[in-house]
Amino acid sequence: MAVEEPEKTGESGKNGQPEPGPAKDSVLQRLYTGTGAFDIVGARKRWYAVFAVLIAVCIGSIGIKGFSLGIDFVGGTQIEMPAQGTGGEITPDEAKEVFSGALGIPATEAQQVGIGDAAAVQIRSQTLNTAELDQAKRALFEQLQPLGVNGQPTVDAISDSAVSSSWGGEISEKALIALGVFLVLVTVFLALYFERRMAIAAVVALLHDVVITAGVYSLIGFEVTPATVIGLLTILGFSLYDTVVVFDKVKENTRGLLGLTRRTYGEAANLALNQTLMRSINTSVIALLPVLGLMVVGYILLGSGTLQDLALVQLTGMLAGVLSSVLLATPLLVDLTMRDPKFKDQAQRVAARRANLARKAAAGRTEDDLDTTDDEALSAELRKEKAYAAAASVPARTPKASQKAPSAAPKGKPTGKRKR
Amino acid sequence: MAPPAGQMRPGRYLAFFALIVIALYSLVLFTGDGQPRPKLGIDLQGGTRVTLTARTPDGNEPSRESLQQARSIIETRVNSIGVSGAEVVVDGSNLVITVPGEEGDQAKNLGRTARLNFRKVVQAVPAGQQAPPPTGQPNQPPSGEPGAGQPEGEQGQGEQDQQGGGGAPAGAQPAQQPDNNDGAIDAETAKQIREAKEQRQNPELVPADPQDQAAAAQAQQLQQQALATLQCSESDPLRGNDSPDLPLVTCNQDGTEKYVLSPSFLPGDQISQATANPPQQGSPGWEVNLEFDSEGTTKWGEFTSANVGERAAFVLDTQVVSAPNIEVAILDGRTRITGNFTQGEARDLAEVLKYGSLPLSFTSSDAKTVSATLGLSSLEAGLIAGGIGIGLVFIYCLFYYRILGVLTVLSLFLSATVVYAVLVLLGRWIGFTLDLAGVAGFIIAIGVTADSFVVYFERLKDEMREGKTFRSAVSRGWVRARRTILASDAVLFLASAVLYTLAVGEVQGFAFTLGMSTVLDLSVVFLVTHPLVALIAKSKTLSSPKLSGLGAVQRLGADRRQTKRVGPAVKEA
Repeated sequence: MAVEEPEKTGESGKNGQPEPGPAKDSVLQRLYTGTGAFDIVGARKRWYAVFAVLIAVCIGSIGIKGFSLGIDFVGGTQIEMPAQGTGGEITPDEAKEVFSGALGIPATEAQQVGIGDAAAVQIRSQTLNTAELDQAKRALFEQLQPLGVNGQPTVDAISDSAVSSSWGGEISEKALIALGVFLVLVTVFLALYFERRMAIAAVVALLHDVVITAGVYSLIGFEVTPATVIGLLTILGFSLYDTVVVFDKVKENTRGLLGLTRRTYGEAANLALNQTLMRSINTSVIALLPVLGLMVVGYILLGSGTLQDLALVQLTGMLAGVLSSVLLATPLLVDLTMRDPKFKDQAQRVAARRANLARKAAAGRTEDDLDTTDDEALSAELRKEKAYAAAASVPARTPKASQKAPSAAPKGKPTGKRKR
Repeated sequence: MAPPAGQMRPGRYLAFFALIVIALYSLVLFTGDGQPRPKLGIDLQGGTRVTLTARTPDGNEPSRESLQQARSIIETRVNSIGVSGAEVVVDGSNLVITVPGEEGDQAKNLGRTARLNFRKVVQAVPAGQQAPPPTGQPNQPPSGEPGAGQPEGEQGQGEQDQQGGGGAPAGAQPAQQPDNNDGAIDAETAKQIREAKEQRQNPELVPADPQDQAAAAQAQQLQQQALATLQCSESDPLRGNDSPDLPLVTCNQDGTEKYVLSPSFLPGDQISQATANPPQQGSPGWEVNLEFDSEGTTKWGEFTSANVGERAAFVLDTQVVSAPNIEVAILDGRTRITGNFTQGEARDLAEVLKYGSLPLSFTSSDAKTVSATLGLSSLEAGLIAGGIGIGLVFIYCLFYYRILGVLTVLSLFLSATVVYAVLVLLGRWIGFTLDLAGVAGFIIAIGVTADSFVVYFERLKDEMREGKTFRSAVSRGWVRARRTILASDAVLFLASAVLYTLAVGEVQGFAFTLGMSTVLDLSVVFLVTHPLVALIAKSKTLSSPKLSGLGAVQRLGADRRQTKRVGPAVKEA
């Protein structure tokens, strides 16, 4: 995730986030302690633009270039055998020749996969029937003598698989149904656990991840196999997992927010992002490490196949997932929330209070951070704000009153907070 | 689940977890065969797996009942080839045949429908003038002229084998049609079947009343039409799906002759015994000898008596296997089918006839033989990938969280212990097999499992940053982290559950292991990680900033306490 850091350095330190730590901490230090003060929400327009471009590119690529479909989608037979024979190494060209010679059918493709002892030669062709397959295997065995597990040449060392073109389609169809069902269920779950706006933001980020991952596959031309489709589905789980972690903190930071004039919803959300940034990065790094291992090992030892396909799609999807949960989901949530007049009013009150404070700020004490995770402190603060409002004898929710509210606060009055 | 802060008794949780582990491993070691090995899929141990997809005439889902029936028939067929450890399971509308080891090749032949019907030949014409079948196979010699009928026929024969071979009469055809659209396969096939039926199974093809001149004339015309349009290609959409009680226009297996046939007078399930026999003198290939049961014997006797000099067609999966002349009435219920069979083909045919025909026709969607070598290296690759994955996570955690990282390592290790035991037990109880996709599921789950710790530990840091001591941060951080962990695991579990329920094939193994890991992860976090963190917090040495690596946040928290105390004081002054 080192990639993210330089991006964010530029954003840092320009918002009004409280920075309790020493001001000159390094980026890493700020990341570690969660006091980063990267203004992600403030720069959300820029992120939207970036994501819009990305998505446009991906959709364009899918539309124009399409996908390179694996054997499971186009149908055919694939024969695989160890690249070590009694007569030395077997090259794909040799294998191709033997294959064509035996059947009179040209092989579509022959390639070597994997390295070292695990190297294998893969031959692909149109669908063969049992007799043809037998013939091909026998010819390959007789002429190339691939070595089996015990170092002896054996016909059993040759693997084959014949797939009908409808199989991949069937798996994908089921996967799409699963995707639909999952989206509905998870939206309901999120709406119940969080709130509707969060569910919407999370699902939008989720769709983004799917589109980006599919787009990357289309752009780079990775082969799409049923394993890829499966992997794509599990990304969904992961993407949401990450978003859930961030939103959980947002939810916590914005408790009682409407009754307070300390910070706007956007600022609270940004604070939550900062507090969970290291967690997001750690979570992703830790989730990605095994996947990376899986991919590398899958490639080195097996060349290609289920392991690698799953790993590749997960890698792409997880990267997209963590970026979107931080840079897209939360900003979206803020925008959705700020459409609510209640939150707009509150933001105005916050601005008013700030202006007031700035005017009065002769003594340099900045407002201190309120720990909204602390129930006692929170309720004390809420009581206090209510008292201010009452003192001004106007309901707190009207903008006018709220503008007055801060000025009504006697400057030196002890607050309940100090006792903490 | 956790008691209020301060009353936490770590020992109890740990003891409970130990109890679970002991119970699981007692089950592993003292029940069943006592072998602590999970059941491996064929892609990890070598073997053959054939996935047969049911294909109904109307494109609807096949009924549960007929699938089960097909499963048990195929199971009988599998057992008859004498391989050990073979399994046939229903997976959605698929049948999956799994044969471990190296003798599974024959399993590819087991899915043929083998619906044998006996029909009377109304009309037979040579199929020499046919256009080349639209198979899209580049190797197929174009056979425009009559003389090409024979090689063409050879090809057709080969393809027929493959139908049986791929396990699917109708089956491999979609694969051979280049214009085939994925996804729309069912509707498309259903349409083809319907059209073929309309033309080639028209009830008016053979008039019920031979005296009716008008009907006979019309039938003549219909027959000519049907014969003219019929292509003797191996991609017959109707194959295995013809209705026995309607007339049928079809080809023979090697594509050399076209027939108009009457409705079936005798179904194949009235065969009591079928054997393959070596060719008799003057005959080119092996033959299959049949014995009918009593009802079949009567019918066969009646038919052969009434139709001496006529031809009877043995129709296997909509194709004519042979259409001999009836020279004499056969009253003893014995007959033989000749059809240029090789020994293997004759034996296969005899087997499938003996064990009954399938109630559904199947497409071979995926037929795979994995050599033991490849299986072994896959298993190795999976284990190495898992090892490297865990190793990387360990290093990262130790580096980042120090003593808490050690906890992570320990918890992951315990998690793996439980997962392994559960794997073995599930393999024994519900026949769960671990395949490559499943292994990938576990490896990906390593990250997810470790995530729970990250969530918890970062929460601890949050609390300490707010100025709490390690000790009080543990209980408060836990309450909050617990919520997040539960929510995020719930989402992941939901994803796995949906995938498992709705998906097919390899997807299920993947979803199953991922979902299982999520659940086991929760138990480890609740029963092991949290109690251990609580223990560490109680110990002075272990919770020192040096070991916990939490120095920075602790300082931050201290600073904060400081400013809180000092700030106002300064102001007051």
